[in-house]
Amino acid sequence: MSDTVENHLQTAPDEIAAVPVARLSPKQQLIARMRGHFGFKVGLIVLVTFTLVAILAPWIAPHDPYAQDLANRLVQPVWSEKGSWAHILGTDSLGRDYLSRLIYGAQISLVIGFSAMLISGLIGTVMGITAGYFGGRVDMVISFIILNRLSMPVVLVALAVVSLFGSSLIIVILVLGFLLWDRFAVVLRSATMQVRAIEYVAAAEVLGSPVRKILFRDILPNVSNHLLVVASIEMAHAILLEASLSFLGLGVQPPLPSWGLMVSEARPFMFFMPWLITIPGTAIFIVVLAINLLGDGLRDVTAPEGRN
Amino acid sequence: MLKYTVKRLGLALIVMLTVSIISFTLVRASGDIAIAVAGEGATDADIEAIRQQFGFDRPLVVQYFDWAGDVLTGDLGDSLFYREPVVQLLVERMPVTMTLGILSLGFAMLLAIPLGVLAAVFPNSIIDRICLGIAVLGQATPSFWFALLMILMFGVIWPVFPISGTDSWRHFIMPIIVLGYYVIPAIMRITRAGMIEVLESDYIRTAKAKGLNTHAVLFKHALRNAIIPVVSLLAVQLGFMLGGSVVVETIFSINGVGHLALLSIERSDFPMIQGIVLTLAILYILLTLFADILNGWLDPRIRIS
Amino acid sequence: MKKISLPIAAAAMAVLFSITPAAAGKDNDTLVFATKTDLENLDAYYNNARVGIILARHIWDNLLYRDPEDFSYKPALATSYEWIDDLTLEFKLREGVTFHNGASFSADDVVYTLNFVSSPDSKVVSRRNVDWIKNVEKIDDYTVRINLSKPFPAALDFVAGPLPIYPHAYYAEVGPEGMNRNPVGTGPYKVVAMEQAKSVKLEKNEDYYKDSPKGQPKIGKLEMRTIPDDNTAVAELMTGGVDWIWRVNADQAEMLGQTPNLDVVGGETMRVGFMSMDAAGRSGVKAVQDLKVRQAIAMAVNRQGIVDNLMPKGGRVIHAACYPKQFGCTDDVTKYTYDPEKAKALLAEAGYPDGFEVTIDAYRDRDLAEAIIGDLRAVGIKADLSYNKYSAARDRVRNGQVTLNFSTWGSYSINDVSAITSNFFRQGPEDLARDADVAALLEKGDTSVDPEKRKAFYADALKKISSNAYWLPMFTYSYLYAFNKDLDFQPSADEIPRFFMASWK
Repeated sequence: MSDTVENHLQTAPDEIAAVPVARLSPKQQLIARMRGHFGFKVGLIVLVTFTLVAILAPWIAPHDPYAQDLANRLVQPVWSEKGSWAHILGTDSLGRDYLSRLIYGAQISLVIGFSAMLISGLIGTVMGITAGYFGGRVDMVISFIILNRLSMPVVLVALAVVSLFGSSLIIVILVLGFLLWDRFAVVLRSATMQVRAIEYVAAAEVLGSPVRKILFRDILPNVSNHLLVVASIEMAHAILLEASLSFLGLGVQPPLPSWGLMVSEARPFMFFMPWLITIPGTAIFIVVLAINLLGDGLRDVTAPEGRN
Repeated sequence: MLKYTVKRLGLALIVMLTVSIISFTLVRASGDIAIAVAGEGATDADIEAIRQQFGFDRPLVVQYFDWAGDVLTGDLGDSLFYREPVVQLLVERMPVTMTLGILSLGFAMLLAIPLGVLAAVFPNSIIDRICLGIAVLGQATPSFWFALLMILMFGVIWPVFPISGTDSWRHFIMPIIVLGYYVIPAIMRITRAGMIEVLESDYIRTAKAKGLNTHAVLFKHALRNAIIPVVSLLAVQLGFMLGGSVVVETIFSINGVGHLALLSIERSDFPMIQGIVLTLAILYILLTLFADILNGWLDPRIRIS
Repeated sequence: MKKISLPIAAAAMAVLFSITPAAAGKDNDTLVFATKTDLENLDAYYNNARVGIILARHIWDNLLYRDPEDFSYKPALATSYEWIDDLTLEFKLREGVTFHNGASFSADDVVYTLNFVSSPDSKVVSRRNVDWIKNVEKIDDYTVRINLSKPFPAALDFVAGPLPIYPHAYYAEVGPEGMNRNPVGTGPYKVVAMEQAKSVKLEKNEDYYKDSPKGQPKIGKLEMRTIPDDNTAVAELMTGGVDWIWRVNADQAEMLGQTPNLDVVGGETMRVGFMSMDAAGRSGVKAVQDLKVRQAIAMAVNRQGIVDNLMPKGGRVIHAACYPKQFGCTDDVTKYTYDPEKAKALLAEAGYPDGFEVTIDAYRDRDLAEAIIGDLRAVGIKADLSYNKYSAARDRVRNGQVTLNFSTWGSYSINDVSAITSNFFRQGPEDLARDADVAALLEKGDTSVDPEKRKAFYADALKKISSNAYWLPMFTYSYLYAFNKDLDFQPSADEIPRFFMASWK
């Protein structure tokens, strides 16, 4: 594989320090480090809050997010003169409660981000560990597949596939899942290579442990910190991409309240009612920020040498 | 070095072949191309005529080899919408997209490298934390949203920049900021990491010990070495940015390849989509190839390994 | 990120504070108008885009001109016309007209242009615009005859519409590609520069012929700018970068109207919105095959509410499957008024007391489609949206995959029912009802020459369509235009802005 590509994917946009894999520290030490890490704490708290909001949406949303009321459209939010507590964030152009749509929107973003990350994580991890462990021809083939995937522009391919096969929640998840596995594969490939060189893995091989056992018992636990960091990056990536696709009209379809779609639908009002694009945009921003903070925190906490 | 380059070139060729097959199959997996080409209000006779005119009635494999043969001679076919050669359209639209990409990258470097250096020189200081903050915030802002806010702020409320088009260099300012900001965190982090590594290396310590002043150490020795990974990052990022310019070109009415790609997808202009995907793939491969070779040249250690 | 871009931008601003004045507006005698889509080819026979039609009216002239107010045909390049018989149409041509390149206009131009485009080899984009022409004969230098391939009552509307006349020697030499790069016509404006997908610049034709029904052009320069994003266009309008935009969102128009330097006007167009229903059952949703269910859907949708709240002023609810002013259209059909309770009762009668699940297809006006979905949910029909680009949506219709199709139709600005009802109910690929009786009536209407007989056939067909609720005709579209206050501009029903009639105040 190209050094440049490898170098790039290992380090950017979130530099994943290619530090020698540390043996997992004792649990208490880890938890202590987590507690001491500001970004990690903030990210975790925000993400947990958003997840709770998404799960509890039916109980905490003040209105039905789909109930339209043409007589009460474009009601202003509570902080403006004409606002009222009936609709805290006002209503959209069809008179639907904006806060309720925002709350249900958390479900969509998180479900897409999480599912796409799981799919891509599965594909990428299998590829990366296989390539890293077996090396040789296997590595060559997998590296070639990775290079092919990398040379295809993600946004264009996602747009094209969605426009060809129609857009729905499932299709968006599948498209993102099948496009975003590259970083998993690249990072885990080199991490596995490093772990494999460690003596006790070599010892296990010599002792004749079955490959499956070595992969699951010796390799996977030792690369799991890399896995978690990449997972956070890709989850954030998937959420942003879904928002972009929906914004371009090729993502999640109405009446589902996707945040990207909400920004898109609010555009005619951006010059006169700017809160309509600001609110869902901020929601995307916060959730992606939280996931990134969590990822950064995980990297620092699990591999403290990575950050001086 | 020569062997290395030849090997890379060979790999690049095979990737191009695979990408061409994938992009060709992908765009044909949808419904009837002829209907898409005929447009609103076409009769069945119109559609049948188009089907024959473009040869859509032939088997897929025949169509692929026909297309691939033409591609080898530099002919990517005609756009179904413009009825002009795809190559000609790419030649017309590529310069503005490249300009946008390179300028955005320049803007990002201008901000990110000094910040990265500062963060490395004063690790764990306030500056370092601010830089980290910028990186994290930048990565979390959706570019379409950022573009809209820019237009709202600096186009309408405080009208200092032209909003759309490419008539003067000032038209490029907002698009460059929007497209460039996403790359800043990556460049900044990699500069910082590279700098820290270099600053701790023996030869820098030696230089310091020899009494060379700090500025000379920083800029003459450390930065030069720290920049190596940045170079390869830039090449790859440029490739990514060309793909990412879809949103920016659409919002700021920039008549480049990104917007053309979106339109072609909407119009099911298959030869055009194939042409763009293939071109971007080739560009990406060439850029990484170039970066690898450049790195080998800058850093002999890579060559040896 | 904003932390950093703000100070940087502010610093840059200090340097750049003087803004170069936009080249738009009264001071420069340049009217810049924005359009969303770009044009594949300026040659009017090789594009089927609305902007192409608009430009064609400015660059070229037709034999006849259709008055935008009363839809009567006025002499343009032809001074008179006569039906010799059902299949022969004769035109006397105007003398003393010159093309932009100096060539003078005569029968040869008409003969060459129309014979060229009507031959199948020309591969024009819309065959239906030309396939009624068998050939064109020159009688003398200023008389031509069009021989029709079939009786075609709407012929004059086509002559006055999508059939501009080109200079024969030039067109024979350069063909459609040359016409695209450097268009030459007799029209009130001539093209001086064009950059594909970016802009087309035009200048007043100083030698425009005196008696043109289009009048003399008043504004010196026109520039059409392609701005794909609606909101970018609005931002440009607000800051003076462009002078004129159209198809403005209703809410946005209301707010733009309050800005001091802008005028907003609205006008009904020939475009109608409708929802066709899969009565033939090709999509496999049984419920919609039931007349009661279709009637329930018709009563569930609050068309008046949508027109009042979501659409620009000037549109209205319609009940027949045509634009009310079109020849042959009648309002004397079954009318379904908004009545959700009755809709629920009808659904229960049909055996769907709890509603059913269905997919609505749409290709534009996502907000209207969402409103329809909201109304259907209110009576228990759980609808979701399949929103596709036009070509993909049409593909689905043609393949029989569509159950409910929210769509619109502009009749190509042809003022005749044959351009809409016959298009959708003569068992063509987009006919979801596939009713043989309706198709037979429409065919009779399309091929009869006697206007009264045609009206009778069409009326019967339209009544059958409504009583069977094959379509839910919804509303006419009103377009909103927002423009520079200095501009005097009148919209017209045929969706063709006429800048040659506009002027600066």
